[in-house]
Amino acid sequence: MRRGSSKKGSTNSTTTSTNSSAMDLFRSASGKAATKELERIDQLFYKYSNESSGMIDPEGIEYLCSDLEVEHTDVRILMLAWKMQAEKQGYFTLEEWRKGLKALHADAIVKLKKVLPELENEVRRPSNYVDFYSYAFRYCLTEEKQKSIDIESICELLELVLGSQFPQQVDLYIQYLKTQIDYKVINMDQWMGFYRFCNEISFPDFSNYDEELAWPLILDNFVDWVKSK
Amino acid sequence: MSRSQSKTNFQIEAYKHKVVVDSKYADRIWRLLEHAINEIYNQNASGLSFEELYRNAYNMVLHKYGEKLYTGVASTMTSHLVIMSKCVENVHGEMFLDELHNKWVEHNKALRMICDILMYMDRSYVPGSHKRPARELGLNLWRDNVIHLTGIQTQLQNTLLHLIHKERTGQVINRGIMRNTIKMLMDLGPPVYQVNFERPFLEASREFYKVESREFIECCDCGNYLQRVEARLNEEMDRVSCYLNPKSEVKITNVVEKEMIANHMTRLVHMEHSGLVNMILDDKYEDLRRMYNLFRPVPNGLSTIQEVMTSYLRETGIQLVNDPEKLKDPVEFVQGLLNKKDKYDKIITLAFNNDRNFQNAMNSTFEFFINCNPQSHEYISLFVDDKMRKDFKGVSETDVEVVLDKLMMVFRYLHEKDIFEKYYKQHLAKRLLSGKGTSEDAERSLVLKLKTECGYQFTSKLEGMLTDMKTSRDIIDGFYLNHGAELGDSPGLLVQVLTTNSWPIQPSGTCNLPAELTSLCDKFRSYYLGTHSGRRLSWQTSMGTADIKVRFVNGQRHELNVSTYQMCVLMLFNDTDQLTYTELERATGIPSLDLKRSLQSMACVKGKNVLRKEPMSKDVKDGDVFFVNEKFTNKFFKVKIGTMITQNETEPEKHKIRERVEEDRKPQIEAAIVRIMKARRVLDHNNLMAEVIKQLQPRFLANPIEIKKRIESLIERDFLERDGSHRKLYRYIA
Repeated sequence: MRRGSSKKGSTNSTTTSTNSSAMDLFRSASGKAATKELERIDQLFYKYSNESSGMIDPEGIEYLCSDLEVEHTDVRILMLAWKMQAEKQGYFTLEEWRKGLKALHADAIVKLKKVLPELENEVRRPSNYVDFYSYAFRYCLTEEKQKSIDIESICELLELVLGSQFPQQVDLYIQYLKTQIDYKVINMDQWMGFYRFCNEISFPDFSNYDEELAWPLILDNFVDWVKSK
Repeated sequence: MSRSQSKTNFQIEAYKHKVVVDSKYADRIWRLLEHAINEIYNQNASGLSFEELYRNAYNMVLHKYGEKLYTGVASTMTSHLVIMSKCVENVHGEMFLDELHNKWVEHNKALRMICDILMYMDRSYVPGSHKRPARELGLNLWRDNVIHLTGIQTQLQNTLLHLIHKERTGQVINRGIMRNTIKMLMDLGPPVYQVNFERPFLEASREFYKVESREFIECCDCGNYLQRVEARLNEEMDRVSCYLNPKSEVKITNVVEKEMIANHMTRLVHMEHSGLVNMILDDKYEDLRRMYNLFRPVPNGLSTIQEVMTSYLRETGIQLVNDPEKLKDPVEFVQGLLNKKDKYDKIITLAFNNDRNFQNAMNSTFEFFINCNPQSHEYISLFVDDKMRKDFKGVSETDVEVVLDKLMMVFRYLHEKDIFEKYYKQHLAKRLLSGKGTSEDAERSLVLKLKTECGYQFTSKLEGMLTDMKTSRDIIDGFYLNHGAELGDSPGLLVQVLTTNSWPIQPSGTCNLPAELTSLCDKFRSYYLGTHSGRRLSWQTSMGTADIKVRFVNGQRHELNVSTYQMCVLMLFNDTDQLTYTELERATGIPSLDLKRSLQSMACVKGKNVLRKEPMSKDVKDGDVFFVNEKFTNKFFKVKIGTMITQNETEPEKHKIRERVEEDRKPQIEAAIVRIMKARRVLDHNNLMAEVIKQLQPRFLANPIEIKKRIESLIERDFLERDGSHRKLYRYIA
């Protein structure tokens, strides 16, 4: 199981060492540009970061959002966090910042603003969306050993992440979550289950839903609830 | 050419007999033979020379006149047969068969002789010419010229059938001639037998039994009808063995079965007052056996019986388990079940040949209706309780075994065995601790049976309880052995040491024991801890009993059997005449609910009121005052004073038991899931559910929704995961 990662590491180093001289030239030429870009990215970071903690905190994010002319509850901020693979909700570290902005080639606010639609498209690609969807859940786990999120927050998150794609299902589900009493929290398994559910099950008749299969119990109850209405 | 020599030497040449064979010669020989045949048929064979005739036939064949011989024989025989048939044809009525038979005998005799004469022809001419051998020729000619002669054929058939019909209606017929005639037909070959006799026979029989069955079914009840059918079947089989072709037996029995049984099956089974249900009700084993045997060869016969029996059993079973009268008394309820099982076991053994299918049907029906009433589980335990307390003491071991085995059969039908276990544990605990003793052998025997049935896990705690009892006895013996001398006048002590986990008892706090007892208890405690260090002992004063000798002021003496709490209360009255409730509570340290109940039992119950309460109300309130009741009377010396339990305590208790059982099931389901996944590594949803249900089935029927919940809980706790690509698969996380 460990072997995979070490191999990756070795291949990386070998490719760089066996580059032709042309690449070397190119690298040295772009090398300067690259370092310049990094510098600007860092500068941008320090613009918003908190001096004492060395990270961008929620306040800083708010400033960032207003500069970007985006609501801080907008899903695109979440997408940005995903691109950065930010670990803690509401905070960006320097490493994460660098990672995200470098990948986006955005070293200024203007560039960042421009690249947001592209980012959105990238995320919405089906192959990435699953990853984004699960990231969104993990991002909301604030405590150390937390494994589930309360219903209120889930409802908000659902609206944010899936609201545009599956409005009817999301609406109904949120309604159900708010009225039922069996579950007070949702865990990762149930969260992911719902995404699969939206993608696979025909709506609004649920004709191809089979209760005997491995769907999470909460979805069985959801379907029953809808059918009984 | 011989050469003449001086010596007389001559050669002998073979004798060459030149036989002149021309057609005239052949004619001549044939006429000789023809004449011979005629003589044979005229019963005049004695004057003939077999050797000469044989030689003549031989010569004819040898010189290529076989054809002429063969056709000649055929035509000669035919002409004789024609004459014979005329004779037979003219005989009517009773003598017809005899005449026919006589002629047949004659023909056979002649045929035998003719065959002997024509042996060479059979050997050399017949094979090459594709003609039938002589004997066969003779039989065929008889068939064609006699049997199949219109006049004879119909009369033969009619006569035979008429005679059989006569016999069926009870008259005696000449079986000998029947036998001979049928044998003749059989000798002529199976097709002759079938066409001329068997087929019309079966047809006529069909008609006959159709009519008879309709007649009988109107006037007979089921049992009688079946008896008659049996009689008819026996008759037909007898007929076949006596004078018919054995191969006809199957066919004729089929006809009888079809006409008399198959066509009327439903009507028979459901016949009012005498059908299957009534037979079962009245334990009519012979009738049932007859029905079983008669229905067996008929298509759907046995399944019809099985269906009716099963639905009747189901109906009466459901009635039984829901009968409010029976539900009042658990012992009667279970006894009813056992009786029913006995009844049906007997029926299946004695009447239904221990048929596997019937046994299985009975078992699944019992399983069905016993589980219809969820109280069955508790009641079976109460039945055991009753038997253990009363009936098993002093009963022989074999009798006890019989009852326990029957109980186990009923136990196997239960779907939620873990509920039974919970009740059984409680009842067992009460039995063991009640001080009245129970049949220990019977208890052990039953626990052993349960262990064999359900495994070690099921009975480990039960065995623990029984062991504790035995160990306690040994401990007390040891205690008195060691300290007996110094104890002298102290009250007698009997202690049961219970291992906490084995007993279904919640440990409770201790109350304040009377001074007379505390030192005794302490001595025991130190004795016990001396031999078993590292353990903790706590007195369970909520249980236990005491025997107290009481002398009232008026001289009345009694021995009271009371609970420990009650003893604590009563002993206080040795020092004072009256006590308020509050004082009692403080002095004894007994929890108020228990204290109130104990006091109520001693002050408010007629015949047990050793105490007097002011005010005289039924409820015990804080301000009440208690006195010894000098006016107490009871005709018995020994008086048992129980503790009142209010009615509405039993319902929540049952509820609690069910809740506890449900809770206990959750870890069992999880354990099963983990066990299965650990072994299989990867498994799909449906198979996992099926495996879990199967594994838990000896204890209870697992609810699929509950299983799903457990699976999700295990996923959350990272014991399992869903497979990334195949959503129906679960993976075990090592």
